[in-house]
Amino acid sequence: MNALVKADGLGKTFTTKPTTAKRLHLSSLARTSRTADPFWALRNVSFEVARGEMMGIVGANGAGKSTLLRLLGGIGRPTTGTLEMNGRIGALLELGGGFQGDLTGRENAILAAVVAGLLKSEALELLPEIIRFAELENFIDAPVRTYSTGMTMRLAFAVAVHTEPEIMLVDEFLAVGDLAFQAKCNARIAKLREAGCAIVLVSHGMDQIREQCDRALWLRRGEVVACDTAKAVATYYEQEMREESLRRTPETLPLSTASGTPALRKENRFGSMEMEISGVTLRPGPKLTCGAPLAVEIQFQCPATLDSPIFALSITRPDGMICLDTNTRSARIPIPPLHGDGFIQLTIERLDLAAGAYFINVGVFDSNWSHAYDFHWHMYQIFMEGGSAHKGILAPPNQWTMKLA
Amino acid sequence: MSTKPSHQNSQERAWKHAADLFSVLVSRDLKILYKRSSLGFGWALVTPLLQLFIFSFVFRRALRMEVHNYPSFVFIGVLVFGWLQGALSQCGGIITSSKSLVTQPGFPLTLLPHVMVSVRLFHFLIALPILFGLLWCQGIRPAWPWFSIPGLLVVQYLLIVGMAYPLASLNVIFRDTQHIVGVSLQLIMFVTPVFYSLDQVPEQMHPWFYLNPMVGLIQSWRDVLLDGNWPNPVTLLTLSVVGITLLIIGRRTFVAQSHCFVEEL
Repeated sequence: MNALVKADGLGKTFTTKPTTAKRLHLSSLARTSRTADPFWALRNVSFEVARGEMMGIVGANGAGKSTLLRLLGGIGRPTTGTLEMNGRIGALLELGGGFQGDLTGRENAILAAVVAGLLKSEALELLPEIIRFAELENFIDAPVRTYSTGMTMRLAFAVAVHTEPEIMLVDEFLAVGDLAFQAKCNARIAKLREAGCAIVLVSHGMDQIREQCDRALWLRRGEVVACDTAKAVATYYEQEMREESLRRTPETLPLSTASGTPALRKENRFGSMEMEISGVTLRPGPKLTCGAPLAVEIQFQCPATLDSPIFALSITRPDGMICLDTNTRSARIPIPPLHGDGFIQLTIERLDLAAGAYFINVGVFDSNWSHAYDFHWHMYQIFMEGGSAHKGILAPPNQWTMKLA
Repeated sequence: MSTKPSHQNSQERAWKHAADLFSVLVSRDLKILYKRSSLGFGWALVTPLLQLFIFSFVFRRALRMEVHNYPSFVFIGVLVFGWLQGALSQCGGIITSSKSLVTQPGFPLTLLPHVMVSVRLFHFLIALPILFGLLWCQGIRPAWPWFSIPGLLVVQYLLIVGMAYPLASLNVIFRDTQHIVGVSLQLIMFVTPVFYSLDQVPEQMHPWFYLNPMVGLIQSWRDVLLDGNWPNPVTLLTLSVVGITLLIIGRRTFVAQSHCFVEEL
């Protein structure tokens, strides 16, 4: 079994560049920044990806994931080490980035397919299938500038998967279209893999890594932390993220939130406190009847601007069993860069939980889940009353009917 | 991905793909330029026609320029120089403005200058019928030497691409190139006999003028179209050698530098 991608001791440096004027000696002060230390964006990275294998790449922002993907795509040369790519490379890096707004979907699709390596005749032959896959039959002759983001991405994805690459480089794509389209994309990717295509996927979603990848490579500041089965790497990574949140929790954490719930540092409250959850209000209140609606309002204070944080909420039983887990990223709620005070509310239309005590856990996380800003665990309790079930979690409205023949 | 193509086939395919890529990129650029304007490709004619009008009016009526068949004389100069000017003033931006292509794995960057020079060649070609019409109106009829026109086009193409390569790579590291080229082209136009004749320049200055490849080139076009003579073979040969040398050196530096382009983007 020969590997399609073979990286051995890859390293890439970027020198902190003097300005052009300095480089061309237009300025007499040119000499000062000459000896700046090179910055190692990647250092001694080795791995292989076999035919039909899917390799995930994980790591925080700036860990070198994009640099690695670029090197694999033959864009830029590695400073050290060797790289072997044995096959035609396809890339899903910037979906729709190369599209020209004034050209029609059809013209753009042909252009993108030829740029990706197909002959024009092959592109024309594949076009009907691409259009069908992108579900754009009625809009294909309209200029792409009139497309929604989703339509553009669908077209770009459809072109990329139909060019039949032998090695595919993917930068977090699965936010394409609705669930049905995502399922179609996954099916298509599975088919590519069966045909022997090696896939390298950069992702922040550990669930995606676990479900889709065979192996994963974890980068931190340009160096490999782990390269193992996807499950193992995802678990290490999540564990490290929890530890990172713990480590960043300041010693002088406020002892209670603004609403007066006691908080014990590193026991039920974690986070770097760059942004603080100052209070949580439950409406109508902590005592609920089964099937009643519940609104959870999370008040926050954000002293410095933070880029698109993620809010998360879960409901757990005292034994830790998770009954509900949702966040603004998976719900695709766009969160603008935040600054100052505000609140965000989750409304649950009906909470059909079985009678008993539960905890509402709330948290706000860095935009790529690398650590928590503030996370409140088992601090807010609710009590469900009524409901017919004695055991189990769910208590939806139900009725028995019986008919005797 | 059924069977591995043989070496011969894959080589053939690579050439075919480069040709296809070239044609889709040229047609893309042409479509983008004119798609949303109501005059469309007519705009490619507006600039040379306007220049023709201004030059023939100002220089013939106001300055009493004594050149035979002045309108077609000046139109040849305007068109030939316009191709160079249009191509070189844009070539600085070709890398920086095609980021999505540059970051595509396996995209042949060396194709970009050819695409841009060919787009301008297309503009030149659609203005040619107007030139022929003008010549006809002035009583000039086609002659056998007109068959050398394709040769002139090839020589000029080589020259322009040869200059486009180094300028394109220079602009990536030194963004002022684009502006400097724009200003220089304006100046060069005045030291090129576009709207005057080399005969009006003092004889002892001629060697200096011939250092500018455009002088010999415009001269050859006028020899062929206005006088019905075959172009001077020595001039054409010199220009071809200059063009090919520029192209080889320019392409080498471009290729050698191309891996840094991405980091500069």
